[in-house]
Amino acid sequence: MPNIDSPPIASRRHLLRAGLALAGAAVTPAQVWAQLAQAGAPPPLPARMRQLLERVCDLTIPDTATPGAVKAGVPDFIILALQHGLSHTDRPPPADQFSGGAAPAGAGWLDWLRFELDLKAGGNFLAAKPAVQAKALADLDAAAYAKGGEKSPWRTLKGLIVTGYYTSEIGGSQELFFELVPGRFDPDVPVGPNDRAWSNDWTAVDFG
Amino acid sequence: MNTDFDAIVVGSGITGGWAAKELTEKGLKVLMVERGRHIEHGTDYVTEMKAPWEMPFRGEGDPQLYERDFAVQSKNRHFTEYTQNHFVNDRENPYAVADGTQFNWWRSYQLGGRSLTWGRQSYRMSDHDFGANKKDGHGVDWPIRYADLKPWYDHVEKFIGVSGQNEGLSSLPDGIYQPPMALNVLEKHAKGVIEAQWPDRRLTIGRTANLTQEKEGRGVCQNRMICPRGCSYGAYFSTQSSTLPAAQATGNLTLITDTVVETVDYDAKAKRARGVSVLNVKTGERRRYTARIIFMNAGAFNTNHILLRSRSDAFPNGLGNSSGRLGTHIMDHASTVGAIALFDTFQDRTSYGNRPTGVIIPRFRNLADQPETDFVRGYSFQGGALRSTWTRGKREAGIGEAFKNNLRHVGPWRMVLVSFAESLPRESNRLRLDAVKVDQFGAPLLQIDFTHGENERKALTDAGKEASAMLKAAGGKVILSLNQPGIGGSAIHEMGGAMMGHDPRSSVTNRWNQLHDVSNIFVTDGAAMASSACQNPSLTYMAMTARACDNAVTMLKQGRI
Repeated sequence: MPNIDSPPIASRRHLLRAGLALAGAAVTPAQVWAQLAQAGAPPPLPARMRQLLERVCDLTIPDTATPGAVKAGVPDFIILALQHGLSHTDRPPPADQFSGGAAPAGAGWLDWLRFELDLKAGGNFLAAKPAVQAKALADLDAAAYAKGGEKSPWRTLKGLIVTGYYTSEIGGSQELFFELVPGRFDPDVPVGPNDRAWSNDWTAVDFG
Repeated sequence: MNTDFDAIVVGSGITGGWAAKELTEKGLKVLMVERGRHIEHGTDYVTEMKAPWEMPFRGEGDPQLYERDFAVQSKNRHFTEYTQNHFVNDRENPYAVADGTQFNWWRSYQLGGRSLTWGRQSYRMSDHDFGANKKDGHGVDWPIRYADLKPWYDHVEKFIGVSGQNEGLSSLPDGIYQPPMALNVLEKHAKGVIEAQWPDRRLTIGRTANLTQEKEGRGVCQNRMICPRGCSYGAYFSTQSSTLPAAQATGNLTLITDTVVETVDYDAKAKRARGVSVLNVKTGERRRYTARIIFMNAGAFNTNHILLRSRSDAFPNGLGNSSGRLGTHIMDHASTVGAIALFDTFQDRTSYGNRPTGVIIPRFRNLADQPETDFVRGYSFQGGALRSTWTRGKREAGIGEAFKNNLRHVGPWRMVLVSFAESLPRESNRLRLDAVKVDQFGAPLLQIDFTHGENERKALTDAGKEASAMLKAAGGKVILSLNQPGIGGSAIHEMGGAMMGHDPRSSVTNRWNQLHDVSNIFVTDGAAMASSACQNPSLTYMAMTARACDNAVTMLKQGRI
């Protein structure tokens, strides 16, 4: 399991510190990796990475009438999941999924996310305007679910966000409906546009 | 502690519980030996009432723990963070496989065994099944027919409680059922279409050992469908909910846990089993227990394992193995996803509650005298219709409010049919004692040598086509259809090795489940199976056990064993 505070993350933080990236600025993968290669070994910055994670969780499942992924504690779940290799994240993300070339040694799943979002945001995803951030993530998502995107690490990360949210108390019992002891089975009931799905329809969780 | 009993029952799972109940109720003093830990009904079902957010890994479990301790068990669909404490630790309980083969041996070493984690599907075998070996020449002829087991199926169903629908099918005999659970709206529609287009096929609700009516001391199913966590309502059949309290009520049962039977001891002079040698896995203490009869209910492969390692001058290749066939002709069902289809109908309908069973389409192939296909015997389907839920969000594009709002509602209907093909009994599929590897107590590991054959592949190919055709006819768009079997063991129906038969030279047990070679040893778990049929086998094991117990006590009273 790659450590999420591994040098590539710290290196990119250095890159960000240098103020190179400005929202909207055109950069190439080669430029980003070149900056990384020049970077020294600054101290790890989990807070910075957590900020990225929170922003991505918030963009994926935002607050609406019910709290979204951040308030549901999904970032903590993702960190735990990555530490323990859930959804096969004990393996590094596929090298060919790093835009513009192979990943640096030790690059983990959040490294990939940060790199790709920085690239799409024109340099510094976190410093970009909300609309730019949303577009960057939407583009990443669209590519991941388009034909040929099957191996995208975003599918894995998004899967963890979705799991983290809908298995949280907020996602599972406020956003969706949760009833551990239904007590009966009604085989045919109407469902309207305002009815919430069950979070613990276990057959659907398995096969749905 | 007393070490001499009328009967010793090895194992406390589905058949061990039944043997203990039947024998104690007939007045015998019984010792039941369980290798795993004690699990108290109700109070020890520690995850039963947990919500996902109360679990450290939200029900997904810790992959690092699973890789280290549950490398095989964690591949089981029923293995989750909620149920992991009901599965065996693979690291501490290794087994071997023959070179070039794989086998998923999914096990539960605990009081109640796999009765806590089983799928609860309860079906009778028919004379198509009991007559199959004789008809096509695979394996050896069963020494019993449906009429022999019918009263015992009745006996078992009445006691455990099975909900289901009688259908009058020759391939799946009717039973004594509690009211059936209901089909949902899409299943009902599919049933109508399929039965109209293929009059020889029937779609019916799964016959499941979940109560729809109360039984003595047991409540009705609450439609939670979290059975393998353990059910404090006692609403599904398990040793703890059903047979164990009955056996204990007699005052005739002695139960020991954390105790593995190392060997069954043979008295060459008397030509009968003397008792068992056991090891307490917690204290390391070894001791012997004696009894007049011994019931082997350790689970099919473990029953074989114990007999194979019970070697003596009289039986150098394993107890009861004068035929050389002990451990051979093992089977599982060959299963895979026949078809999954999406439906855009009934979008304004759904269901409420978690029904703990699906639907089945019983065997319809090769029921006439002459085979109608390029394979012998048949297959059945199990599955159901459901509306997708939040997990589809992992597969779908989208982020933000629209994505969240979409997942707030039920997704489209989909229907799944899983194929279960009969596994032919073959001598080459077998169990052995590993020549090199030993367990932590120094005993040779069980080596499993199993592969699915061409007949199973042909059956699954046909099943995939038919499943797709039926779901298409019902209006579905098929998105997946597979025709290759999973790794052996994946149906969790491993069986055989001590097959019943007429002839001591070609089989291991007789029509009363006695070892041909040793008349006071009875094998009544899945080891005794001579063919696999294509339906879930546990009910047949229970019926065989009850029948064998009745006969054993009769023979004891008559001084014949």
